[in-house]
Amino acid sequence: MDSFKRNSRALLFFAGLLAAWAAVTALRLIDPIVLPSPWSVARAAPGMLRERLLADIGLTLGRVLAALAVACVIGIPAGLFLGYRKRTYEVLEGPLHALRSIPASALFPLFLIVAGVGETSIVALAAYPSLLVILVNTVSGAALANKRRLYQARLLNLTTLQMVSDVLFYEALPNIFDGIRTAVSYSLLLVVAVEMFIGLGERGLGRGIYLYQSAYRIPETYGAIIIAGMIGILLNWAVTKAQEHMLRWVPNVHEEE
Amino acid sequence: MNTPAASTATALQLENVDFSYAVRSEGANSQLYQGFSLRIEHGSIVTIMGASGSGKSTLGRIMAGILTPQKGDVRRSSDFTQPSHLVYADQHPMNDVFPWQTVLQNVRYPLEKLNWESSQRRERICYLMTLFRLSALANAYPAQLSGGELQRLALSRCLSWKPKLVILDEPFSALDGKIKAEITSALHELALKDRMTLVLITHNVADALALGMRCVVIARRPVRVISDLEFQTGFPRDDSSPNYDAMRQSLVNGIRDGFV
Repeated sequence: MDSFKRNSRALLFFAGLLAAWAAVTALRLIDPIVLPSPWSVARAAPGMLRERLLADIGLTLGRVLAALAVACVIGIPAGLFLGYRKRTYEVLEGPLHALRSIPASALFPLFLIVAGVGETSIVALAAYPSLLVILVNTVSGAALANKRRLYQARLLNLTTLQMVSDVLFYEALPNIFDGIRTAVSYSLLLVVAVEMFIGLGERGLGRGIYLYQSAYRIPETYGAIIIAGMIGILLNWAVTKAQEHMLRWVPNVHEEE
Repeated sequence: MNTPAASTATALQLENVDFSYAVRSEGANSQLYQGFSLRIEHGSIVTIMGASGSGKSTLGRIMAGILTPQKGDVRRSSDFTQPSHLVYADQHPMNDVFPWQTVLQNVRYPLEKLNWESSQRRERICYLMTLFRLSALANAYPAQLSGGELQRLALSRCLSWKPKLVILDEPFSALDGKIKAEITSALHELALKDRMTLVLITHNVADALALGMRCVVIARRPVRVISDLEFQTGFPRDDSSPNYDAMRQSLVNGIRDGFV
């Protein structure tokens, strides 16, 4: 009931936004070169999708998911291990935060030199800040693990691997999801941005937006931007669903100490 | 009324223990334990009583080795060769279970990791789930349980692998009368059957009397044993018998004397 209310309120907001957009363009308050009408965007959509954008969407989504996969596969185990071995983390904490402070986009030329123009460098660039944010969140999640429960786990002679995969992983899972959520927006942002500038022959949603804009096909530009936004919403929704499912056991009140 | 039976083996012995928490406001009373000694015999059921804030949990955690005293000795029986032989069950049962595991998984996991053979494991799980009335809740997560159910789960998990010494910190706080009586007799049965030493921390006179073969009352800062009573009455104890009344009276007197 609550989520129904929330959803209908969000829907109402979007409807209002759309109505305002329609009104503003119908009254010709803004030049259609700057803001085309919603109808012209809707009319342009089928052709634009057929022309190139469906393939672009697939490519962009694939790159984002690949970057996230790399970030999770490396970031989560490494974060759990570092959270378990606090001494090691104390040594690495400074350098890690220094690395995190470098804007990822500034590193792109380096990635191009190392990996060349192509999928590898795009995915690597998006994976880089995603990995760091997942890693840092995982470490703090592991560090926040319930000490009393860790005591119970230590009674059982667990190996380090069992301790990490059976106990620490779950203790850190709420924080891991926080990291993944941030990583999703980083990845989408960077993939789309890099696609815009990487080269003429490349494909992808970012490239599509850039080319439509260059050709002054404004309705198509808006259409592609809206699609990029929808991908962001969709990915976020997927993370929320995964989180709800994987954290369905979380107690409401954390009893500690 | 200390036991003269020096022949019985010692499960655990605290000798001249000093303990204080590092971060506490300074003052004469910051030393929680000073030269504190206590001996727990093998196979005994000992209840530790004290008002809240008297340092009962701290004592339990010193015994379990979770807290290390600044001075003095904590000697454990050479019988306890594995970490799992000595368990401290937290006051908050959610800290004793893995909330990401279901009730059944929570009871099974320790047995798996301690390499119990699968048929024995199944038998033990079945026994505990029935004893603690958890069978119908096998697939529920701890967060979905009521306070009493959660406490029963925490107890069955802590006892699952037959530890040799169990320190239970307020294990009945969320249980109501009828279930409490059941759990008490279940604990007694388990203690005898598995030959384990049981230390029960409580502030409730009835709980102490329901199980205790010996009852140690402690009082505050620096903590001293103010009364150490031995109860020979058999189990289960009938709280309407004159015998029980006498036990109760001596315990209450012991507590009162300590506070005057």
